[in-house]
Amino acid sequence: MLDVRQVSRSFGGVFAVRDVTLSVADGELRGIIGPNGAGKSTLFNLVSGHLQPDGGTVRYRGARLERRSPHRRARDGIAIVFQGARIFRRMTAVENVMVGAHGHTRCGFVAGALRLPGQHREERAIRDRAWEALEQVGLTAWAHREAESLPLGQQRQLQVARALCGEPRLLLLDEPASGLRAAEREALAALVAELHAGGLTMLLIEHDVGFVTRLADRVTVLDLGEVIAEGTPEEIGRDERVITAYLGDGAGGDRRA
Amino acid sequence: MNAPRMVGFVLGGLVAVAALLAPLVLSGSQLTIYVLLGTAAMVTVGVSLLMGYAGQVSLGQAAFYAIGGYTAGLMGVHGLPTVAGLVCAPLVAGLLAALVGIPIMRLRGHYLAFATLAFQLILLSVVGQLEVLGGDIGLQGIPRLGIGSAQLSNTQSYAWLTWAATALVLLIARNVITSRAGRGLRALATSEIAAESSGVPVARYKLAVFALSAAFAGLAGGIYAFFLGYIAPGSFPVLLSFEFVVMAVVGGLGTIWGPVVGAAVITVLVQVLNSLGTEPGMPPYASSVFSYAVYALLLVLTLLFLPRGLLPTATEWVRRALRGREPPAAGDRPAAAVPTGDASGSPAR
Repeated sequence: MLDVRQVSRSFGGVFAVRDVTLSVADGELRGIIGPNGAGKSTLFNLVSGHLQPDGGTVRYRGARLERRSPHRRARDGIAIVFQGARIFRRMTAVENVMVGAHGHTRCGFVAGALRLPGQHREERAIRDRAWEALEQVGLTAWAHREAESLPLGQQRQLQVARALCGEPRLLLLDEPASGLRAAEREALAALVAELHAGGLTMLLIEHDVGFVTRLADRVTVLDLGEVIAEGTPEEIGRDERVITAYLGDGAGGDRRA
Repeated sequence: MNAPRMVGFVLGGLVAVAALLAPLVLSGSQLTIYVLLGTAAMVTVGVSLLMGYAGQVSLGQAAFYAIGGYTAGLMGVHGLPTVAGLVCAPLVAGLLAALVGIPIMRLRGHYLAFATLAFQLILLSVVGQLEVLGGDIGLQGIPRLGIGSAQLSNTQSYAWLTWAATALVLLIARNVITSRAGRGLRALATSEIAAESSGVPVARYKLAVFALSAAFAGLAGGIYAFFLGYIAPGSFPVLLSFEFVVMAVVGGLGTIWGPVVGAAVITVLVQVLNSLGTEPGMPPYASSVFSYAVYALLLVLTLLFLPRGLLPTATEWVRRALRGREPPAAGDRPAAAVPTGDASGSPAR
């Protein structure tokens, strides 16, 4: 599904990501962990299209991806759940989710302005799809609320619903658990596990090691921009270099699952 | 349909009918104000789309008003069918906006504001130099609008034309905002990154909304040119661009009807103060001081006390009053299927 090969990206001469290679199979839930400054977010942005690599290739379903714009990637089935609450203000929850369908729908300004015949049908299809996505994350009761009035946990789930509305093949999650309370985190973990069971391929980037190791099939560990280990969660838990990186950094070592 | 929306529909309908009948009773000079109010409302609806919904600032909207006016005027002066001039006015304005927008819509916030302002200043000085456009003296002898030999000769008919054009602009704006494209626009106002990753072609959409708002201004400019029969660079000062922004903010950014309210309030107020300023005994600079002071004061007062604008604040009052009579149910926020945004949230900027 996703094939990242020898990808590097530097900022002002400092490598944020260096020669990173990883390959995600269809239906796999891949976790990416690493201490602060390990290059997780840079790697994420290289896959999402908000950064271009200096070198290396990113392939998605066999095709080169590096120069493809983010909205093309969305159309091609890559959806994103951002860190923080990147929901759209002054729009209701269901409208937020409906935006997610943009990639695979067509009606533009002219069709909208003139209310061309196809417009109504498409609009209804988008609304139905959005409701399904809201049902999937359990937010239908909040559908007509202003999205920004939702608690952070629900906003994160709303982002997942928005991503699902685009009928993605690959879902990127950037630190989805950060800032959530324990109960919200559990709800999110259950949702991710359910999507995984449904066969969705996911790339889960997370600071919280425990959250990743209990959900992921395989885990890639980054440190200082390079891959230092890759394997099943159990293998990663035993890896000397991973333990050193975390203990040396002092972050997250005690939260190991 | 829930109660607040119903009230909105009824009120909107009443305003529309009243505006349609008004030309029958208004005097000549009042009709002139009516036409100017309507054209200002058209431009301001575009400003609201651009600033309120899509979060892009333009301080050069009068430039597209001018482009529409000159397109219509020039075609008329050269003996082309005036109806064609009226149709071309929004098209040319929209097209030029799309071209100018390719570089400048890459800018954000203050930079975009300054770029649009600069565009207007450049346009005005270029127009002032061009002999074909009448230079600084302007374009004179623009014929009246007409089809064949039938002409719109009296002010009343221009009032109705303005009414129809304003209605068309409002309808298009509403249709766009409540469509898929409109959702994309509203989304990119908050976060271009998130919108883009949801599949919204952000750059193209910004260009499209810029062109659409320019087309509204162009249509208004076309009507203005045929109505007055004379236009010059001086008819489209930078202050006019500010005026449109003030109207949009006072009425309520990010609403469909707010611009009409804003345009009405400011146009009428400026006229009243203008006649006050030209009363005998007033110093000669009184009227210009009044008009500048009014924009500034209204903008400041609105931002201080009604930051969302007149219309959203008023709708909220109505909504609260209605809710006061009904037993308050949990989560009884109106489940508006077609949110015009007319009572929600604060301005995007």
